[in-house]
Amino acid sequence: MPVPAHHIVAMPPPFEAPPYPADIFAGQTVLVTGGGSGMGLAMAKAFAQGGAQVAVMGRSLDKAQDGARQIAALGARVHALSCDVRAPEQIAAAFDEVESELGPVSLLANNAGANFPILAEDISANAWNAITRIAIDGTFLCSAEFARRRIAAGQGGAIVINSAQYIWTGFPGDAHSAAAKTAQATMTAKLARDWAPHGIRVNAVAAGFFPHETSTAGRSDEMTASLPNMIPAGRPGSIYEFGWLSALTCTPLMGGLTGQVILQDGGESLRRSLRNPDFVPPRERVQGPWGWQ
Amino acid sequence: MGWLTGKTARLVGTSPAIAAALTAQGAALVEEGDCDVLVHVAPPPADVPAHEITFDQWRATLDAGLDQRFLLAKDFAALRRAAHKGGAVVFVGAPEQALGADQAAAGGGLGNLTKTLGVEWARDGIRVNTVQTRSSGETLGNLVAYLASDYAAYVTGAVMGVGLDD
Repeated sequence: MPVPAHHIVAMPPPFEAPPYPADIFAGQTVLVTGGGSGMGLAMAKAFAQGGAQVAVMGRSLDKAQDGARQIAALGARVHALSCDVRAPEQIAAAFDEVESELGPVSLLANNAGANFPILAEDISANAWNAITRIAIDGTFLCSAEFARRRIAAGQGGAIVINSAQYIWTGFPGDAHSAAAKTAQATMTAKLARDWAPHGIRVNAVAAGFFPHETSTAGRSDEMTASLPNMIPAGRPGSIYEFGWLSALTCTPLMGGLTGQVILQDGGESLRRSLRNPDFVPPRERVQGPWGWQ
Repeated sequence: MGWLTGKTARLVGTSPAIAAALTAQGAALVEEGDCDVLVHVAPPPADVPAHEITFDQWRATLDAGLDQRFLLAKDFAALRRAAHKGGAVVFVGAPEQALGADQAAAGGGLGNLTKTLGVEWARDGIRVNTVQTRSSGETLGNLVAYLASDYAAYVTGAVMGVGLDD
């Protein structure tokens, strides 16, 4: 169903009008994990709009390079590189490479992650390990590597983490990601506390639906068409809104902000009615664990 | 920048940082009537052990921290609906557990009220968010200005702090 015409849908300013000056990150280098596509690419573009030099990291170098080309088109200096965020020695090498190409990393965007609908009983040990370790270990390892280098340099910095809107409710049909995304959010507060004495801020965005070509929602035309009226805000998020909020938390405008998890989901996770459609266990849903695939 | 250029904002309560940020981002501050943005700042109540809180103190905290906020937001939303325009409400106050039991009750109630109104009024284009913090500086001002602006068009029902102990 389309959103009824008499409803009011709040819209953001256009992509060309970011909420900060074009030089707010001038002289700084941001490292974006999983920055070659989707939400990571949106983060990378938002940092580029603020004048940062952008290191785009991905497991696939091809994908990272594709993203880097799009970011370079915004006028930013970029470097694409490959790294598995589950491997500490690869992360250290990646920071070294970025530092030699662009300079010291002073901003970090933890986005690397994967997600797909699946029944809990069908999640293999390998699948569980992959999803949880990319998000949980990857966020921890990249953040810790970043912090060690900033502390050694005697300089502060800012970290932002891409979490999800379902971290407070659970997500039946998505057990691996439910655990992973909440772990990212809860470590946000503790990392912020540990590194506050060193001037390093850590915040997270609990992001809702921001459809993009590599999101699971993007695979189904029917799903994409039904999204707007399903969400209280009357639309899915525009992916650049997510990038902007992520980058904004790292600006001096938010210099006192740390340890926070900011919900940006158009009210989607807060829907509740006394009466709902009958409960159908994920296992028995005709269209799969998320109910539509 | 001008996150709030062309918008009118009503600031109820006292916060120099928020007033400065709203103005710096282009909002015109108004005292009453229909406006685009409502920011309500409740002063932190005294930190008193629960068994020493008088009934008057208890009611005053609940009145300022919860009841008045709801009634003010309700009036704001009614004017917005009548004008067929969206809007933004931002509540600002102390963290739930920072002070006494009166604030614990008022702050918790406000948080879940925020989540509720954010969805209940979503299709009126009215967003509702809350910042519960001990901070009073520039970051608070900028955060409130952001939440009040169209840049936060997809942020509603969010309850957040500013610093580590919020």
